[in-house]
Amino acid sequence: MTFFDRRPSARWGVTILAAVLLTAGASGIGALSANAGDKLAPRTASQLLVDVQQAKVSGLSGTIVQNADLGLPSLPGFGSTGSSDMTSLVSGSHTLRLWYAGPNRVRLSLLGQLGESDVIHNGGDLWTWSSKDKTASHRTIPTTSKDNTPSLESTAPTSPQQAAEEALKAIDPSTKVSTIGNSTVAGRSAYELLLQPRDSTSLVGSVRIAIDGKTHLPTRVQVFAKNADKPSFEIAFTSFDPTTPSASVFAFNPPPGTKVTEQKGTPDMLKGPEATAPKSSLEKHSAQADSGGPKIVGSGWSSVVVTKASLPGGSDASGGGSLTRVLRDLPKVSGSWGSGHLLQGTLFSALLTDDGRLAVGAVAPEALHAALGS
Amino acid sequence: MSVAEVVLPITRRRLSSRFLRSELRLIFSRRRNVAGLLVLAAIPVLIAIAVKVSTPGHERGGPDFFSSITENGLFVALAALTIELGLFLPLAVAAISGDSVAGEANIGTLRYLLTVPVQRARLLAVKYTGIVIFSFVATLTVSLTGVVAGLVLFGGGDMTLLSGSQIGFVAGFGRVLGATVYLAICFSALGAVGLFVSTLTEQPIGAMIAVVIFSTASFILDSIPQVSWIHPFLITHEWLAFGDLFRDPVSWGGVQTGLYSAGVYMLVFWLAAWARFGNKDITS
Repeated sequence: MTFFDRRPSARWGVTILAAVLLTAGASGIGALSANAGDKLAPRTASQLLVDVQQAKVSGLSGTIVQNADLGLPSLPGFGSTGSSDMTSLVSGSHTLRLWYAGPNRVRLSLLGQLGESDVIHNGGDLWTWSSKDKTASHRTIPTTSKDNTPSLESTAPTSPQQAAEEALKAIDPSTKVSTIGNSTVAGRSAYELLLQPRDSTSLVGSVRIAIDGKTHLPTRVQVFAKNADKPSFEIAFTSFDPTTPSASVFAFNPPPGTKVTEQKGTPDMLKGPEATAPKSSLEKHSAQADSGGPKIVGSGWSSVVVTKASLPGGSDASGGGSLTRVLRDLPKVSGSWGSGHLLQGTLFSALLTDDGRLAVGAVAPEALHAALGS
Repeated sequence: MSVAEVVLPITRRRLSSRFLRSELRLIFSRRRNVAGLLVLAAIPVLIAIAVKVSTPGHERGGPDFFSSITENGLFVALAALTIELGLFLPLAVAAISGDSVAGEANIGTLRYLLTVPVQRARLLAVKYTGIVIFSFVATLTVSLTGVVAGLVLFGGGDMTLLSGSQIGFVAGFGRVLGATVYLAICFSALGAVGLFVSTLTEQPIGAMIAVVIFSTASFILDSIPQVSWIHPFLITHEWLAFGDLFRDPVSWGGVQTGLYSAGVYMLVFWLAAWARFGNKDITS
């Protein structure tokens, strides 16, 4: 007679114990390594801004997970989770891998389920690759020498400390900047910077930026909608290795059978050294709008960009076929400014009027109406 | 604890493999199981022929890995695995594992098995080893038939990875084998669930259906973003991570999570089967 023969119910106890321990173990491993991380000396918001400016790494590799829950209606062809299509980044959850070995060697891979898209910058070559349709594009770009990257000495005559103070002062009227202790990102201790819009009409409740304690690189950006306890948008490293990756990672030769398109000119995305900054996609919208001669109504967090939409009109059935179909699914709204279609998310609203104007802002739809009417 | 229980009464006896050998003979001599393996093997052949006879120009698009088949026959195996991991392979594992205990109970041989002094834990261990071996045989059947069919119709050569870089044929074949072993381990985890369900009933059909429902429901839940909190716990969640082996450099994260998850499923459901079966009255 063994113990388990005498007490048969103890077997179930063992089973449940194993299930609980092993399930908790998966998350426990992360928690343990978090405790193992160094305790970080407290730093003020302006000190952190100086740190980020002075952050210099010769190389890093890591995995980045992006979660976007923008509350958008599911649009056909957009943002299916697990897609390796670069345009799918609008919504859903995505995993990216980043390798960085100086400004002339950067590779970003978007991992899809059984697919992958890559952007590889290696010396004077810029390659893009998509495994789904087996296409690659190549363009030659001028090599930026290492000293050419905007360094603090050349751009800011003042000390980094002063620059940070000035930056803080500049954003202070619109934004409350504070630190909220430490957190753990990718198993590493990190500082957290909290940005809160003072303007209560903005849909953005707060933005949290985690700054790695050792390298001082931003390792996580979370954007919270107002009154939300979960981030609507989050991009964060899940693994982070500040060692220079091997050169073979950046080598790319289009495999046989690939359709390679040769392109000319410098792409927008390389004009600034923003490939490494996880939050660049947030600013892209406003940057793109610049070209269309936009009008900005309001200021700070509640500003609304009104621009002429360069989208094919409803009459152009061939070009805008899928787009008009998407538009038709959006709710129709009207006001003193006319009528149009409204796209409403948790972080921003967009309104496309029937006469081809587009209003976008991190505000409630009412503010878009007001901006269009003005 | 369970180890002590198994070892104690048979301390003086060498642990013989006779029971396992007879179990394997049982599995692989059943005509329905052989027919099942043949069906599994037919899919990659079908895929290879279909791609071969299709008009050129249509090779782009289609399910994952299809567009690469014409360039390298190894991709037939991957395309076949991708297609079969949704239903065919889980169904095969469900058939074997659901039948493992319930089948014996159903035809009344279970009590004879137990009158030969076989510890119940050992019976479950042997049954589960049989299921694991079958999972490996089934998965290898698919990929090896795929490799052979692919090499015959399309030839080998360098393999283009998802990242666009190329590796030699031998390395490519190694990665295909790695993906096969990974999936076989995943299916073995499903087999543990099947073993447990099989101890609940005396109707093998019911157990098989339950296991297929389990894996299919897992796939369905995995595709619903609103319940994303449950996704890491689903048995099928990391199955497609085998594709990560075909990146350059290999992305191990998903595979590691998948192996851990499979290990947890194996242990917990084997223990559940042991808890259920250990004090069950065997009436037939």
